[in-house]
Amino acid sequence: MSDFGMGEDDFEQMYQEVILEASKHPHGKESFAADLAREDAGAKTGEMTVRASHEYCTPGESHQFNPTCGDEATVHVEVSDAEPHTIEHVVWDGHGCSISQASLSIMVDLVEGKSVDDAMDLEQLFHRLMESRGKGLDDENDEDKLEDAIVFQGASKYPMRIKCALLGWEGLKDALAKALAAKNS
Amino acid sequence: MVDFAAIRNEFPILDQEIHGHPLVYLDSAATSQKPQRVIEAESEFYRTINAGVHRGAHELAARSTTAFEDARAKVAKLVGANAEEGEEEIVVTAGATAGLNLLATAFGNASLGRGGEAARRFALKPGDEIVVSKAEHHSVLLPFQELAARTGATFKWLDLTDDGRVRTDNLDEVITERTRIVAVTHVGNVTGAITDIAPIIKRTHEMGGIFVLDACQSVPHLKVDFHALDVDFAAWSAHKMYGPTGVGFLYGKREMLEALPPASFGGSMVELAWMDQPAQYMLPPARFEAGTQPVAQVVAAGVAAEWMMAIGMDRLEEHERMLTDELLKMGDIDGIRIIGPRENVKRIGTVAFDVEGVHPHDVGQFIDAQGIAIRVGHHCAQPVHRHFGLYASNRASCGVYNSIDDIDALLEALAKVRPFFEV
Repeated sequence: MSDFGMGEDDFEQMYQEVILEASKHPHGKESFAADLAREDAGAKTGEMTVRASHEYCTPGESHQFNPTCGDEATVHVEVSDAEPHTIEHVVWDGHGCSISQASLSIMVDLVEGKSVDDAMDLEQLFHRLMESRGKGLDDENDEDKLEDAIVFQGASKYPMRIKCALLGWEGLKDALAKALAAKNS
Repeated sequence: MVDFAAIRNEFPILDQEIHGHPLVYLDSAATSQKPQRVIEAESEFYRTINAGVHRGAHELAARSTTAFEDARAKVAKLVGANAEEGEEEIVVTAGATAGLNLLATAFGNASLGRGGEAARRFALKPGDEIVVSKAEHHSVLLPFQELAARTGATFKWLDLTDDGRVRTDNLDEVITERTRIVAVTHVGNVTGAITDIAPIIKRTHEMGGIFVLDACQSVPHLKVDFHALDVDFAAWSAHKMYGPTGVGFLYGKREMLEALPPASFGGSMVELAWMDQPAQYMLPPARFEAGTQPVAQVVAAGVAAEWMMAIGMDRLEEHERMLTDELLKMGDIDGIRIIGPRENVKRIGTVAFDVEGVHPHDVGQFIDAQGIAIRVGHHCAQPVHRHFGLYASNRASCGVYNSIDDIDALLEALAKVRPFFEV
């Protein structure tokens, strides 16, 4: 076995069926952002606009890009004006590896309908999971809160893939911050 | 006959297991591995003769200076450049990127009037044109794009054919009498295609322009003679030609180097420095080698160049051509599309490919679990990928140490990728 302790078992732990399935049929994925694989995309990136939002909601949108592989995700959220601020709607557009696509899909299932505060707590838990180098979270209750997102524990063993799993969550955090800032302005 | 199995044994890093499999290294286009003699040359330098070069009068300084200049001469010989004292055509840089930025900065300085009358041939003004190709690595694209932005010159490019070769059928339209600089890659770092540079160079010179060659992917794999090619400048790195990281080389025709103003300023590049008078700079190559150079690495790069010449670039080319034949068989695997020339004609053993329905990161991870190292991503060449309608690709690239068994291990693993990901 290798000195790095990573073999085919680790590989299969990363690519669990939940991930492969979610990446092939991702939830919350819509087509609304520029396609950077097109030669005419350069001119369009400046034109991206936040789409009209639901009534009594404020939208926020964030574009995330991983320059090492070109993966990108634009996360669009709509946050209720009433308190507690709740994520009424979350969709995304983008492309990437199965880890990033599955993570976005599972994130949508987890945070839609939740309060912004609860979603941010989940984001922190997920961040801790991805920094755990395969060890997972100490508290079983915390692991339960992440529901299906706990399958990314396998990916957290691979330093090069942590960013893939976090791409969508970074977008969510930033989009929520923008929506809240827009409410307060 | 060259014993390529014995050559492979000179690379200690290849003798290990990754994820329980023997390492198969197919990422030489990113960086090559280093033979034991190169690794030892670097530490031997530090153990025995380390001292400042071109300064000081003690014995170690003399020995290190000789070793440094001998290495420059070996590298010059590898690429058919002059090395006699006073005629040197090889400048030591921190890498190919540094060499290309040196040129772009020096051309920019010439555009500001620096370097006097002699440097006017490099000067750019609004209306002048800089031409690159769509196959360029970002290290060619961006320095010259920035140079155009700084000087007001127009930035143009040669397009690619469907299989990713630089087009040469419309040179008369793209390269005009307004074209001052043309910078093109010798071998595409994604497609592995060898550019038909002769007509591009000819047209550039007919129009009075300067031709710059990115030789990063050619010098390690092909017999290259810069005099015969008639390029004005060429940049490449040592670490892709079995040498150390942190060092590269810039070739310039002697007359060009003598006319080019410096881009980086400091110690060891100036003859006379005053508080109240303009400095007088040294002749090339010293003029372009400000500050302490990576001497141990240059010496080791010289050992690498000598080693390549001892194998014989013809035989090295032949060995890699045989590997390329095998590598191109991946195109027969269901769902695999080769990004670049499909035939083993005018190309090297660097083959980029797309696996239908599977993202390159996932392909690379699957291949890695079998102990095989390939590159995934955009390989610092986003416009090439857009040309093929892609964001990223997979790339397998050979070195002299690879064997048919290495390629077959890759082909076997590649056949399992789509079934695993259920596409």
